[in-house]
Amino acid sequence: MEELTEKLKAQIIEALNLEDIRPEDIDTDAPLFGASGLGLDSIDALELILILERDYGIKMSNPGEGRKILTSVRSMADYIQAHGK
Amino acid sequence: MQTGGAGQIIHQNGGKMKIYVTGEGMVTALGRGVDMNVKAIRAGRSGVAMHTGLLRDGDGRELPVMCGMVPEDVMREISEEYPSGNGTYTRLELLAAAALGEALGEAGKKDRIGSRRRKAMIFSSTKGNTGILTAESLDTELPDDVFIDVTAKKTGRIFGYSPEDVYTVSNACISGISALVVARRLIGYGRYDEVAVVGVDVLSEFIVSGFASFRSLSPELCRPYDKERCGLNLGEAAGAVVLASGPEYMPSCAVISGGSISDDANHISGPSRTGDALYFAMRDAMEEAGTSPSDVSFVSLHGTATVYNDEMESKAVSLAGLSGTPVQSLKPYIGHTLGASGVVESILCIRQLLSGEVWGTPGYNESGVPLPLDVSDCTRQVAMRHCVKTASGFGGCNAAAVFSLPEYASDTCIGKPAGYAVIRHVRLDGQSLFHASSGAGDFHSAIREKYRSMGLDDMKFYKMDDMSKLGYIACHMLLEGLQFAPEEMAVILQNRNASLDSDLKHLSNITRGAGASPAVFVYTLPNVASGEISIRHRIKGENTFFISDRYSKVKMEDYAAMVLSSSHAKYCIVGWLDFLRGTFLADFELLEKTSDSPQEVSRNRREGEL
Repeated sequence: MEELTEKLKAQIIEALNLEDIRPEDIDTDAPLFGASGLGLDSIDALELILILERDYGIKMSNPGEGRKILTSVRSMADYIQAHGK
Repeated sequence: MQTGGAGQIIHQNGGKMKIYVTGEGMVTALGRGVDMNVKAIRAGRSGVAMHTGLLRDGDGRELPVMCGMVPEDVMREISEEYPSGNGTYTRLELLAAAALGEALGEAGKKDRIGSRRRKAMIFSSTKGNTGILTAESLDTELPDDVFIDVTAKKTGRIFGYSPEDVYTVSNACISGISALVVARRLIGYGRYDEVAVVGVDVLSEFIVSGFASFRSLSPELCRPYDKERCGLNLGEAAGAVVLASGPEYMPSCAVISGGSISDDANHISGPSRTGDALYFAMRDAMEEAGTSPSDVSFVSLHGTATVYNDEMESKAVSLAGLSGTPVQSLKPYIGHTLGASGVVESILCIRQLLSGEVWGTPGYNESGVPLPLDVSDCTRQVAMRHCVKTASGFGGCNAAAVFSLPEYASDTCIGKPAGYAVIRHVRLDGQSLFHASSGAGDFHSAIREKYRSMGLDDMKFYKMDDMSKLGYIACHMLLEGLQFAPEEMAVILQNRNASLDSDLKHLSNITRGAGASPAVFVYTLPNVASGEISIRHRIKGENTFFISDRYSKVKMEDYAAMVLSSSHAKYCIVGWLDFLRGTFLADFELLEKTSDSPQEVSRNRREGEL
């Protein structure tokens, strides 16, 4: 699990151009979106969904589902473990 | 304090006039010609259908897309009429020529003094010929046709426009209405007597893959404002109108009586959560037209059927006091035709205005927007006076135009643009940027160093494309310490390359990479750079992006003075912002309005009230 969360953090930093942020700066349980944390927005959410689809073979059919899965690095990792290929 | 409300008109020589729409032309998925399109829509037909060849999944498999394509037999017919002389015409250019040819033909029949006029053409497109780019383009010199200004002048030449009288506007999905607003001003301020406006966009894998990555495409026919709506259908089209000043009454012609542009200053792709800026555009367009909400017979909204666009529009309509006025979206008939939509849908509005009926919005059943809208899926008979047409687009831009029956339209007099002073100037090129930086001549490290040296702290900066970063830094230098209210600032920019630098990155993603990336695709519009500037500095005034092979400083300042005169703006950022393959320049001036005019200023009033 830890390996997965670390890999996800590196992928998030690369995909979202998070300059000056290192993987260890991202709290596995902290909210990814909103004013606190990384302050990601709707375009970032789409990029995160692409990571899940392209790298983990996850198909998200229900857009409402995405919000829950993308809450934190941990929620993403949990979902990948349960549904990934 | 707000000064210079919309619609101020200067009495220069007392010559009253109206700006008429004297000719119209279009090609859409429903066919060629305005009459043909009107007939099809009145029969309840839609041009939106399943098409292949526009989208592939990660494994290269074809994915069908529900969209509005111009039928191939129509394309064949047009290409036979416009045989190429030197070189060939692209699909986009053929569509533009067909629409413009129809519009100019109609205008020639109605306008007897047409031959004596000073004439211009405005070409508006979201993506121009970008669809002709292939993977090979990534490693080679770019073909001339992908520069929108080249396309515009080539199209203009077919109809005898000299290059200096051809203007190009690329303002995302409001391009068409932006161009109408610009055209109205060029006539209203006496620069020309007749301006043709053409709006055109075609579909390609470039565009469709980007919208698919945004997850905004509906697999079914789109259902604007409905509870079950799930996205938009793209479409391709060309629309053209001829606007002309007319001192005398022109029967069976509508009048373009007002127009305004605003920016959300909220997000580069997500619509405003309040709808205030679209409301500002509608309010100012109505004020310029000298009409109140109660005189508006119907509103033709953008109505893309994405969840957030339609929500935002319901809020703006409510703020504008138009909740009880019939509204519609025309997207289910022809799809969202991007930069063409403003022109094509304005023509369809004029036809409704002249016929006394408001067409239904197919697929609408139950409201799915937070505030009330008077939508119907059926045609309604309405007593006509004025109609408001709106559009909104990426970069946070909004535009509204008012069309009026001539008997209800206000008179306009030739205006004089506001007086202004150039109060600041910033120029950022390779020399000045690299000179200030300790590193070698590499844009990325130099701009990052500049950003840090200015003490800025904005996570969003790193996500911007290079042109936006350049504009962002230049604007910080330009506006430092200046206080202004959101509506008091406008942004009028120009460049040669539109967003080609980011276009090539998106092209690389879809041809050689892992597929479309939303964070890259969103920057494939030049006006997103002005949107970033507007977000950072809370600018809600006009954002207009012109394209030209070189900076037309005199014309841009002249247009900025028109904006200062006919909007709430007290200041205007005007300049050149370009970036392609590492070559760049930002050259911005800040204009401050000094006076409305030395002459008497009076409100635009309806005849009889003067």
